[in-house]
Amino acid sequence: MREEFRLLVALQDLDIMIKEVKDQHTSHELKSMGFKLTGLKELQDARDHLAEKIPAALLNRYDKLAARFTVAILPVTSNKCLGCFVKLPTSFFSSAYSHELLTCESCGRLLYIP
Amino acid sequence: MESKKLASFFEEDLCIFGLRSKKKISVLQEMVRHLASVGRISDERFIMEMLKNRESLGSTGLGMGVAFPHGRSLAIKDLTVLFARSANGVEFESQDGEPTNIFFLILAPSDRGADTYLALLSELIGIIQKPKKLESLLAVKDHASLIKILGGEES
Ligand SMILES: [Zn+2]
Repeated sequence: MREEFRLLVALQDLDIMIKEVKDQHTSHELKSMGFKLTGLKELQDARDHLAEKIPAALLNRYDKLAARFTVAILPVTSNKCLGCFVKLPTSFFSSAYSHELLTCESCGRLLYIP
Repeated sequence: MESKKLASFFEEDLCIFGLRSKKKISVLQEMVRHLASVGRISDERFIMEMLKNRESLGSTGLGMGVAFPHGRSLAIKDLTVLFARSANGVEFESQDGEPTNIFFLILAPSDRGADTYLALLSELIGIIQKPKKLESLLAVKDHASLIKILGGEES
């Protein structure tokens, strides 16, 4: 797995966590169970630090997708984009593409071949 | 909560009854490595990174010897729980400052909402709030006894 994909996936996991803390329902539930959620700033700092390592154009593409979808980048599974469940064309799987970050033509999500 | 019963999440290969680690990061690593060894996660680095970030948000060690590390990641396919116990306790920055003896590590896939794991978390916290249940859990040494405690039967 290429380093850029790895960074994007880690960024996505972090973004999901930040969204949960900012979501009133989720944070209220967690607090009522006794969890202290005091480190949002630490998460945001970690997010900034991670984002700095990602090429700007790629980060920009990811950010736009992440604003629309919970999962913006995902591995191709069973020849499908599991974001929108569309079957991908066979041209996707030629070896020339196997190290590239791909785009689902149906929903626009970023895909990689695991 | 999914219709799946609580006890059914606790499969035998998802339990560690003799944790070796004594520190926070190493105990997380030991549990994540176990999940990788039984094929539950696709990439342990993502899970470790996510769990460390979750701890920086606030320790999941709630005190009374129990911690609930949790979160969502692309590297997990199905809602998964790992139970782990350390007889001597782990320094886990818990809210009461005491060592942590039992861990419920809860991992949920990123394409599902937080409610997927919140219900499970809430149910488990309900159990540890019962002093007799907690006492049994802190001392549990095998899978059959764990299931009995979580299944609601008298132990
Ligand atoms: Zn798609």
